[in-house]
Amino acid sequence: MKVRHAIGIAVAFLSTAAPANAQVDFTGQWAPLYHEDTIERIPGPELGDYTGLPLSDAGRMRADSWDADRISVVQEYQCRPHSSDYSLRGLAPLRIWADYDPATQRIIAFHTHIGAYENKRTIYLDGRPHPNEYEPHTFQGFSTGVWEGNMLTVTTTHLKENYLRRNGVPRSSKATFTEHWVLHRNYLTITHVVYDPVILTEPLVRSQSWFLDPGQRAGLFPCEYLPEVPAEAGTVPHYLPGTNPWLKEFAEWYALPFEAIRGGAETLYPEYRAKMGAYKPKDKCERFCNCTGFGDCLSPTGGR
Amino acid sequence: MRRNNLHGVMAALLMTASIGVAAQGPPGGRGAQPPRTPQAAAPVDFTGYWVSVVTEDWRWRMVTPARGDFAGVPLNAAARKLGQSWDPAKDEAEGNQCKAYGAAGIMRVPGRLHITWQDDTTLKIDTDQGTQTRLLHFGGKPAPGIKPSWQGYSSANWEGPQRGSAPPDFTPIALNPREGTRGRSLEVVTTNLRAGYLRKNGVPYSENTVLREYFDLSNERTGDTWFVVTTIVEDPTHLTQPFVTSTNFKKQADASGFAPIPCSVR
Amino acid sequence: MKVALLAFAVALCGLALVSAQAPPARTSPSPVRPTPDPAATDISVVRVQKNVYMLASRAGNVAVQIGDDGVLLVDTGTAPMAQKLFAAIRTLSNKPIHTIINTHLHADHTGGNLALVKLGAGGPQPPRVMGHENTYNRMVAAAVEANANTPAAALPMDAFFTPTRDFFLNGEAIVLHHVPAAHTDGDTLVHFRGSDVVATGDVFNPDIYPVIDIANGGTISGTIVALNRVLEITVPAKYQEGGTYVVPGHGRICDEAEVVEYRDMVTIIRDRVADLVKKGLTLDQVKAAKPSRDYDGDYGTTSGFWTTEMFVEAVYRTINATK
Repeated sequence: MKVRHAIGIAVAFLSTAAPANAQVDFTGQWAPLYHEDTIERIPGPELGDYTGLPLSDAGRMRADSWDADRISVVQEYQCRPHSSDYSLRGLAPLRIWADYDPATQRIIAFHTHIGAYENKRTIYLDGRPHPNEYEPHTFQGFSTGVWEGNMLTVTTTHLKENYLRRNGVPRSSKATFTEHWVLHRNYLTITHVVYDPVILTEPLVRSQSWFLDPGQRAGLFPCEYLPEVPAEAGTVPHYLPGTNPWLKEFAEWYALPFEAIRGGAETLYPEYRAKMGAYKPKDKCERFCNCTGFGDCLSPTGGR
Repeated sequence: MRRNNLHGVMAALLMTASIGVAAQGPPGGRGAQPPRTPQAAAPVDFTGYWVSVVTEDWRWRMVTPARGDFAGVPLNAAARKLGQSWDPAKDEAEGNQCKAYGAAGIMRVPGRLHITWQDDTTLKIDTDQGTQTRLLHFGGKPAPGIKPSWQGYSSANWEGPQRGSAPPDFTPIALNPREGTRGRSLEVVTTNLRAGYLRKNGVPYSENTVLREYFDLSNERTGDTWFVVTTIVEDPTHLTQPFVTSTNFKKQADASGFAPIPCSVR
Repeated sequence: MKVALLAFAVALCGLALVSAQAPPARTSPSPVRPTPDPAATDISVVRVQKNVYMLASRAGNVAVQIGDDGVLLVDTGTAPMAQKLFAAIRTLSNKPIHTIINTHLHADHTGGNLALVKLGAGGPQPPRVMGHENTYNRMVAAAVEANANTPAAALPMDAFFTPTRDFFLNGEAIVLHHVPAAHTDGDTLVHFRGSDVVATGDVFNPDIYPVIDIANGGTISGTIVALNRVLEITVPAKYQEGGTYVVPGHGRICDEAEVVEYRDMVTIIRDRVADLVKKGLTLDQVKAAKPSRDYDGDYGTTSGFWTTEMFVEAVYRTINATK
């Protein structure tokens, strides 16, 4: 009797032995690595810097009209969070945890918490459909994922308007994005592809990495909106076309051709270097030269 | 007697499960079939022509940054001092035009790649920028006394089950096969490098560098195929921590635009 | 006979009201949203928050509040859709329709008024139909002009003329806000205080430039004032999301953040056109300058009942109109 019982237990284990497809456990505390686009992601992008973005004319015009005062004068922007696509560009520790189906012990959802704005997102792996066109859009959107071998591919829809870069380059509410999550040793790399038919002329592909850091703890991100600057109700700071005085500053600081910093798909490809012609950088670095972390990125001339 | 029988049955079943785990290990396993070559076993296809699409670090890649611009690179003090002394004319005079085209930096140089199988155990990456060739040797090890070179010696494998930080010889015992058995990533470890530059403005890496790369392929809804290479530069001489970047390449239909040019210090 | 006399009396009253307050002369035709084929138009029932639902279709949105007192509708869609609408309402509540609030006069929001009554949606007593006085006047004027014999049940007979009107239904306070000279001159915002939902009618539609019905008293300045009024009512939950939900005249459920983006867009385009007008440009020159081109991909269209060019023209024509 006991032998038959033992065989029954073992058979029960073995019958669940073969997974239908592979899964990777991304759970844990992940510390963001800022070795790429450090200045954009920590102290912030310079006004007029559209480099690396396949912007449409509409996207460029929207960015040119942006006035940074809008973030403070328009109270409703003061606590506006980064959307799920922009959140991946960092500024905060990432925590991932999972839901398991008790019947199969398979992961059926990942949850993420990013420290900035305490953004929370759920990525559903249970095959559920996305909501219909009348459901609300959110800053985090609605995400579902499928496994491709050891890679998790995530699709997010129902996004509110947000930004591709926090110097005024918007990302429209018509956009969707795809992510590919891969885990190598203790490094998580997420490649994300933003499809925005309004702001971009082709998909924007960017990637960033995190390092597993069990000692990391996300802090709180308190935000309260209130009147900061006296302004007439309904004031919307913006620049009329052709009047933004800051657009050339970035090019001047780094001795770059103005056309090159205006973004556009052409500027992303190697052959653009020939079109730019001979480029002579400044004799020495003058701004954010050693910016690698918060300590040495606080001011343009800070750091060692 | 009955207890011994029970233990015997359990042991037999556990052994069966472990054998089942082993059977899902490397290709070949038990049985008469010879192991598949790395080329035959490739879970994804990296061959073809690829172009880098510079959406990140544009100012440090599409143009040569100013001397002393080390933003993002975790250099130690000595390395920063070395970087401040960057002299492109001197590099040129000494025949070191290719310092920024070494394996630790070449994938960040905007350009095109042509990836092919040189043979069924060697994947070859030709770059048009600097006309460099990287050979990724599956199952290979550098010969003793090998001379350092710009591209060093690269050992490659198709990444297996996720092991986290487990040591290489760790063999887990489990009743269920490990997850992630169908890996589709290319793992490359490169050593024996000559000292070079992580960026064209003389950001240094030393000959003690170990370069780890992970190549991952994706197919997008537009029909485009991309790969991202996660590059981890470990340099105890110049870096305070590993320098990690991820670089994206889009597959091209053909060789259009692939135009090999020699290394340049500018 | 009695019904005919009553209808005639109502028509006479309507005519008297119209005569007392003559609407402004029509300068351009009223933009009319085409009525989709009801056979091809499904209604999605979407829960907004607490007691309030949205019945959404290609024809437009109807906000529904349910409770023990009966059903309240904000707008009634088009007449051909009434049967489907009624069926959708019945999935939420078996109670009679107690109140209908018309946000403005257009047929894609009021066409179902009479049709629902004929379907018996009001139960033994027809629902009261509420709306701003200007909406009532314009609906009567339109009926007179069309020589149509419009029954009382089709009209917002329970009209108000004050800036706000409030009442209590289904356990919560409901406040009607008149926002003058916006989409039309009779627009009403409906604020469900307990459910924390605002129904805006066509003052706000997240997917299209504001439709400014000049013929019926709409202006760009009034539209901006109305959007700011919505923002005064809405309160977001944490990190600018959720909290007060907004049911637009057409399109998805929104919240304050999306109304802000929309308000900003309208204000910016208005400012650009104002600047060009100040520089002395003609209408054709303003259109050629394409002052909205960075927003056209989000909100514009080159064909249909409301094009980008029509929007720019409406801004140009009403830019100096006082609210």
